[in-house]
Amino acid sequence: MIPVSAYLAVSALLFSIGMYGVLARRNAVLILMSIELMLNAVNINLVAFSRYLAPGEFTGLVFAVFVITVAAAEVGLALAIIIRLYRNRATVNVDEIDLLKW
Amino acid sequence: MEWAWIAAAAPLAAFPLVALRGKWLPGRGAYISIAAIGLSFVLFWLVGADFLRRQADHFSITWFNSGGTRLALGMIIDPLSVYMLGIVSVVALGVQVYSLKYMEHEPRFSWYFAVQSLFAASMLGLVLSDNFLLLYVTWELVGLCSYLLIGFWFEKRSAAEAAKKAFVTTRIGDVGLLIGILVLFKATGSFDIGTVIQAAESGQISSGTLTVAALLLFAGAMGKSAQFPLHVWLPDAMEGPTPVSALIHAATMVVAGVYLVARAFPIFEAAPGALEVVGWLGLLTALLTATMALVMTNLKQVLAYSTISHLGFMMLALGSIGFTGGMYHLMTHAFAKALLFLGAGSIAHGTGLTDIKDMGGLWRKMPLTSTLFILGALSLAGVPPLGGFFSKDEVLAAVYHNQGPVVLGLTLVLALLSALYMARLVFVVFFGPDRSRESGVHAHESPWQMVVPLVALAYLAVTSGAAAFYLPGTGEGLGQFLFWEEGEAFHPLWWLIIASMVIVAAGFVIAWGIYQRGWRVARALEPVARLARRKYYMDDLYQWTIDRVVLVFAGMVALFDRTVVNDGGVNGSGGIVARVGKRLRYHETGRVYNYGLVMAGAIVVLGLMVTLLR
Amino acid sequence: MAVWLGFGVLAGATVAGALGTVTSRNVVHAALFLLVTLIAVAGLFLMLFAEFLALVQVLLYGGAIVLVLLFALMLTRIRGTAASLDNPQRPLAIVAALATVGLLLGVVLSTQWPVQQPGGGPVGFPQWGASLFRQWAIPFELASVVLLVALIGAVVISRPGGEE
Repeated sequence: MIPVSAYLAVSALLFSIGMYGVLARRNAVLILMSIELMLNAVNINLVAFSRYLAPGEFTGLVFAVFVITVAAAEVGLALAIIIRLYRNRATVNVDEIDLLKW
Repeated sequence: MEWAWIAAAAPLAAFPLVALRGKWLPGRGAYISIAAIGLSFVLFWLVGADFLRRQADHFSITWFNSGGTRLALGMIIDPLSVYMLGIVSVVALGVQVYSLKYMEHEPRFSWYFAVQSLFAASMLGLVLSDNFLLLYVTWELVGLCSYLLIGFWFEKRSAAEAAKKAFVTTRIGDVGLLIGILVLFKATGSFDIGTVIQAAESGQISSGTLTVAALLLFAGAMGKSAQFPLHVWLPDAMEGPTPVSALIHAATMVVAGVYLVARAFPIFEAAPGALEVVGWLGLLTALLTATMALVMTNLKQVLAYSTISHLGFMMLALGSIGFTGGMYHLMTHAFAKALLFLGAGSIAHGTGLTDIKDMGGLWRKMPLTSTLFILGALSLAGVPPLGGFFSKDEVLAAVYHNQGPVVLGLTLVLALLSALYMARLVFVVFFGPDRSRESGVHAHESPWQMVVPLVALAYLAVTSGAAAFYLPGTGEGLGQFLFWEEGEAFHPLWWLIIASMVIVAAGFVIAWGIYQRGWRVARALEPVARLARRKYYMDDLYQWTIDRVVLVFAGMVALFDRTVVNDGGVNGSGGIVARVGKRLRYHETGRVYNYGLVMAGAIVVLGLMVTLLR
Repeated sequence: MAVWLGFGVLAGATVAGALGTVTSRNVVHAALFLLVTLIAVAGLFLMLFAEFLALVQVLLYGGAIVLVLLFALMLTRIRGTAASLDNPQRPLAIVAALATVGLLLGVVLSTQWPVQQPGGGPVGFPQWGASLFRQWAIPFELASVVLLVALIGAVVISRPGGEE
């Protein structure tokens, strides 16, 4: 059978790739997508641990459901902000949105 | 009589009432103020009558407890406090009634009466208080009120300066008083005057500590009672309205010091050397200022120096264990001096003059005022049978019994000087030619509101001599009434009485000769007179000290403050932060992915630390 | 063996889709790569006997979220974006990602996990429902409130006009 560490390794790779995307992208929508990748990595972790370490309990699975829920809410809000931003500044590049600099 | 506290509380309550709501009160608040002090005066009679039936009383309530120490609000009803209660309330009442007309046209009329009330309240509280703490509080209140009243015309620069001078000079003594109280507290663990006195008499306190404490208490008394070298504020205090001078010089401010020494008398007695200091300093002050009173030409200033001189005389009496004499003289002097100051105010009111060089022949223009003023002057000069004669004699007897012949001789010289300057005033102001150019023409008598207090005070000044033999209600003399436990009857020394009478007569004859007949004595004494006129360079000495020592030191401190503390410490540290911030702020790029990178790096580092260091 | 094959395919698709998402020069392509990853993750959930979660993953992520992202991309389309999708700190981002993956893999592979076999069988929908609405009822309701607030917030924020 597949050991739990295999799932964890996939999760780790997915998380790091997502992190790279967050750090290297400049388009706000792409950054949002990268965040989704990271959330999925977390979900894989939760489910894998739930099945391997505590079968018969639903905690990990339910948490995954909540993560998805929150992700949906987050995407909705973030996109609203991005659209608003685009309307006001005509850009979605995060390095042009630097009002908080020195 | 447990209601005695109202004597102090009534004027105290009048103060905020008159100060805040004076405009809408009857007589612009003056009637409230006078009613309050009148109530105090009535209470004096009630308390006095009650006191004669029962004996010394002591009431006290706990104010608060602090670390096992009970701080009390309390009052002593004993001969001394009843006596002072009477003097203070009657003089304050007279002065306030007098002020009614004298201050009529003042814009700050209500405020004047409010502060008068507070002044009376604090002085009455001072004489009633049974512990040093309350005494100190009221003591400072007295100082504050004198500051406010001396500087009543604060628009006038000299008045503001005089008020400041009075306040600061007396503060120097007050610091001594506070330290003295604390020394006694440390030695006995109590602020209660009775407890402290018992401890001092039973020898619980080491004699060194006791002497230090007594001298520190006396330092406070020196400030308030204007003893050398802290006497400089009192002559300037005449910048205030004249009734204020009457109040300060007669019954409140300056007698507080004498009262303190009298109240703490057993402590001074038990402290070796303390009474000697009191006596000698009193004598020195009295002699110095008596000569100054001889040469000054401003009427009020002459009276001011005479006040200091008589205060020194009282201190001399106390220093010679002449408790009765000192306190007796306090009373006769209070009545006579209040009379003189109010009379001087009347003269100024009637003629607009303050300098005696411009006066003369007032006898004919203001006969009533002149008569009353002369009565006061004669009483102070010690002419029998007025009050001042008997009290002076009591002091002389005490000096004779307890001091050497040198002191007695100097005291007789003092008596001569005292008679001399009073005679000078009488001759220059009321007799002789009219030296005023035109202002004397419309001199007029004062209104009855001003004359009534004068008459009352004159009556007291004249009759207070009888108190030496017989005090109404007690059936015995003042000495028996006042003296601690064992009574002390009036015991005349006939040769001393005759000697003092001769001296007074001599004083008047000399003054008559110099100021009426134009004897040429003054020319020979001109150098001394110039010295006295310059106030023995005391003011100059203080000025020099302030200019050359205090201000130079202050300049150094200010320089240190500006350069090291301000430039280096305050601006320096601020500047460093500002410069560092100017450089560091560029790491705030405003780009969110920069921050994210730092977060990621930090997480990696933290994770490495957790895994590797486990 | 077939299990490993399936896992390899799904894991490979997950990682490849993710890499495509973060490296693609075209934003729409990136969104489609994301879809690949999401569906592959749903497959991984199936392998873990979490059928309900896989379903939710496909419906919610694959359907709704990717759709919204595509809408957002279309609404914010900027001319000539292709060259400027990455920011100047990309090399540092690569280093950080490699460090993270090294750290995580190191930890995962070096840890002695107590269980090497998945336990339990497939989870039935009734058990799911009972768990969600009994044990987790309050968090579930709170999550619905979060969604509602987010919905209203999104409407308020993106409404045209506004205060400016």
